[in-house]
Amino acid sequence: MRLYDIVVVLSPEETAEQTQAVLDGFKKILTDGQAKILVEDPWGRRRLAYSIGRRKEGIYHYWQAEAAAETIAELERKMRLSDEVLRHMAVRVDEELRRAEKLKARRQQKAARRPPKSAPAAAAESATPADVPVSEA
Amino acid sequence: MALPAKREKKTNSGRKKFFVRRRKACKFCVEKIEYIDWKDAKGLQSFIPERGKILPRRISGVCSLHQRKLQTAIKRARTIALLPYATD
Repeated sequence: MRLYDIVVVLSPEETAEQTQAVLDGFKKILTDGQAKILVEDPWGRRRLAYSIGRRKEGIYHYWQAEAAAETIAELERKMRLSDEVLRHMAVRVDEELRRAEKLKARRQQKAARRPPKSAPAAAAESATPADVPVSEA
Repeated sequence: MALPAKREKKTNSGRKKFFVRRRKACKFCVEKIEYIDWKDAKGLQSFIPERGKILPRRISGVCSLHQRKLQTAIKRARTIALLPYATD
């Protein structure tokens, strides 16, 4: 199971029920594939940065889900076939997020080791490193 | 690391000849941002000048690590029309 960011842009011309039906269809693919939907966020109607088939607006919908690669492949296939979908994207984000976490942890460790910047002279003076505050960030 | 703010050299005639520019700091390093979110179109917009191209890091001062991350974030945002490929 991998973590994915999934975004679909739907055509704004459809009725609200139709849009909802399409979105429910996509969601069903995810849930049928035993995917765990962590975040669901309807961004709603937004202006497109460039026009797609004369359309200036699109209905955005975002999911963050933990899913198997096969489920995502199936979802993307359905999205490609669907006429209502203007743009779609599913990107794997778990690796990047993990790397970011690692960097953050490393930085905090470094900060803890280093005496705080506010009192560099005082920290240098004191020979005992025990009284240097551990947490900075 | 940080260069002195403005060092002015004067020629014999007393005119300013050149000065050393202050080195720009990477925005993401300063704000301690590890993950550049492609969903945050507003934040990315500051690295997209008028024309819609990605701002080179020689201008923005972003470090190479973050520039690479910024680049993929912008490109992702472009595919779903959050950001433009080009504008005129």
